[in-house]
Amino acid sequence: MLLPSFYDFCCRVKTISGNKALEMIPDLLAGMNAKKPMIVTDKGVVAVGLIDVVKKAVGNKLKIGAIFDGVPIDSDYKVVNAAAKIYRQKGCDSIIAIGGGSAMDTAKGINILVSLGGDNLLDYEGAGAVKKKLNPLIAIPTTSGTGSEMTLVAVIADPERRVKMTFVSYFVLPDIALLDPRMTKTLPPTLTTSTAMDAMTHAVEAYFCKEKNPVSDSHALYAIKMISDNLLNVVKNPGDLKGRLALANASAMAGIAFSNSMVGLVHNMGHSTGAVCHVPHGVCMSIFLPYGLEYNLHRCADIIGEILFPLAGPEVYAATRKKDRAEKVIELIRTMNQDLYDATGGKHSRCLKEIINRDGSQAVPQSILPTIARATMMDGARLYNPEEILEYDSLMVLEHAYEGIPLDRSKIKKGGRKVAY
Amino acid sequence: MNTNKYPEIKPGTKFIKKVYCFIMLLIVGRAIEAASKTDRVVKKEVEALPNDLCFYLGVMPSGPYMVVGKTKEGGMKYLGWKLVGKKINLRMNIRNIEAAIQVFTFQESTATAFAHDRFVVEGDLPTATAVVRILDIVEVYLLPKIITKLAVQRYPKWSEMSPFRKWTGRFIIYGRALGYGLVKDLITNIF
Repeated sequence: MLLPSFYDFCCRVKTISGNKALEMIPDLLAGMNAKKPMIVTDKGVVAVGLIDVVKKAVGNKLKIGAIFDGVPIDSDYKVVNAAAKIYRQKGCDSIIAIGGGSAMDTAKGINILVSLGGDNLLDYEGAGAVKKKLNPLIAIPTTSGTGSEMTLVAVIADPERRVKMTFVSYFVLPDIALLDPRMTKTLPPTLTTSTAMDAMTHAVEAYFCKEKNPVSDSHALYAIKMISDNLLNVVKNPGDLKGRLALANASAMAGIAFSNSMVGLVHNMGHSTGAVCHVPHGVCMSIFLPYGLEYNLHRCADIIGEILFPLAGPEVYAATRKKDRAEKVIELIRTMNQDLYDATGGKHSRCLKEIINRDGSQAVPQSILPTIARATMMDGARLYNPEEILEYDSLMVLEHAYEGIPLDRSKIKKGGRKVAY
Repeated sequence: MNTNKYPEIKPGTKFIKKVYCFIMLLIVGRAIEAASKTDRVVKKEVEALPNDLCFYLGVMPSGPYMVVGKTKEGGMKYLGWKLVGKKINLRMNIRNIEAAIQVFTFQESTATAFAHDRFVVEGDLPTATAVVRILDIVEVYLLPKIITKLAVQRYPKWSEMSPFRKWTGRFIIYGRALGYGLVKDLITNIF
C-alpha cells in the first residue's frame, strides 16, 4: 500500500443501504427538519414505475411537494432554472433525486439555485462558487454506475455553447445516499453492464491515478471486488436483488474513491467522446478502460498489478508473477468486456465502431476522432493521469479504441520523472 | 476581562519567499504574453480560450499575483500584479506561500500540485486546464531541460519540439519578456 507525501479525503454523505431502505425517507427528512420534498427524476424512471415504489414506501408519512420528471438525458441548465421555479412555487424545502447521473446532477443544480438564490444557475459555474450549506438532498440511484450520489460535482450542459459545465463544491454533496435494490431491479442488461463498468472505471482509475491515497484506495479495491464478483451474475439473472445491492454499493464506493482521487485518461477520453458524439458515458468507460491501463503501464505497473487481487481473487493473484500482474489485469478487463458482450447478445460495445445510434447509424464515425482528440485537451482529467496526454496521444488511443485492437505500445511517448503520488 | 492575556496572532510575512514568487510570476506572466506571439502551439491553445478571458495566478491569502488577459487580436497580455479594476473571470490560487515555493522551485510539477490539491480554481475548469498546458510550454522555453523535467509531466521529444524551434523560441521569448515591455509594465504597475 502506497502512502503519498500528501493527500486529503472528504466524504460527508450518510449511506443507507438495504432492502427496505426507502421506507426510512420520512424519518431521514424529518431529522434534517424537512417536511415537503420535491422529487427530481426523468420520464423513464416514472414509466417503469419506480416513483410509485417510492410513494408506496413512504406511504402517508410524507407530503411530496412536487414531482419534476423533466430531466433530459444530459442535464441542462435551463431545465434546472425551470425546476427551481416549480420548487419555489410549491413551497418545497428539500429534494429527493431519483435516477441516474443526469437526474442527480440536475437535482444538485436545483439545490444550488433554491438554496443560494437567483434565477440562473450559470451564476454559480465552476469550482468554489458554492460556499454555503444547501437544503437537504437525498440521492436514490437507479443505475449502478455514476456514483453521483457520492460526488461533490454536478455536470450540467449548456446546449447553446455546446459545453458541459461543472459545479464543484463540498456543499454540492448530497446529504444522504439511499441504496435500495428495488430501484435498480428494472435496469435493462445493457444499462446494467455499461453503468457497472463505469463504476469499475471509477474504482480502477482512482486506484492508479495521481491523487490516490490509502482511504480512497480501500473504497476502490472493495468496489472492484464487488463488481467483479457480481456483474455477470446480475446480467444473467436480473432478479438477483443481492447482486443488485452489491453493485449499488460498489458504485457508491467507487464514487467516494474517484471523488477524492480523481480520474485520468479513461474519463478524459470518455468525457470528450460523450460531448462530441453524445455516446452514453458508461459505454465509453468500458471501451476505454483497458486502453487507460495500457497507456499508463510503464508509469505505474506495480500499482496496476495490485488490482489483480480484488479483480481475480487471491488464487490467481498468488499464481501470477509480480511482473505479469498488470498485464493480467488488462487481459481480464478485456475478457470481462467480451463476456458482457456475449451475455447481452452483442449489445455491450467493445470498441468505438460498434456503438450504434437508435436510428442504426454509427455513433462515432472515424472522421470525428481528431475532433474528439482536440476536445480531450480541455478536460481536467488529463491533469490527474500519471502519463502526459496531448492531442496526438489522444488520437493514437482513439484510433486503437475505434478498431478495438490493443494499444501499439511503441507509439506511447514515454518520459518525465517518476510519478509523484 | 483582560483581553490582553489573549493576544491576536498576526501571520508572518515570509518576505524573501514572497519576493521570489513575485519575480517568478512576473517573468512567467511576461513570458506567456511573449509565447502567445511566438509559439504556434501556444497560439493554438490561446485561440481556443474565451475571448473575454482574464485570469490570475496567485498565492493565498494576499498574493503575489500575476494577471493575464486575452487581447482583441487573439494573443495574451500580461496585465500586472494588481487585481483592482480588472474583470477577472478565472482565479487560480496556490493555497499558501510554502506550496507556491514547492511549485516555483520545481520540487513539484504543476500537474502534481493540482493532484496534491495545492491549487484552488474558481471559474471555468476547462479553461484552467488549457492555462496549465500553456504554463507547461512556457516553462519548456524559459528553463533548462534538467529543471523543466521536474516541472512538467513529460518533456517534449524532438519530434514534438525540435532543438531549432526550442532555441529560437527561447531567444525570442526571453527577448520579448525581459525587454522594453518589462520596463513599461513595471512603470505602469508601480505608478
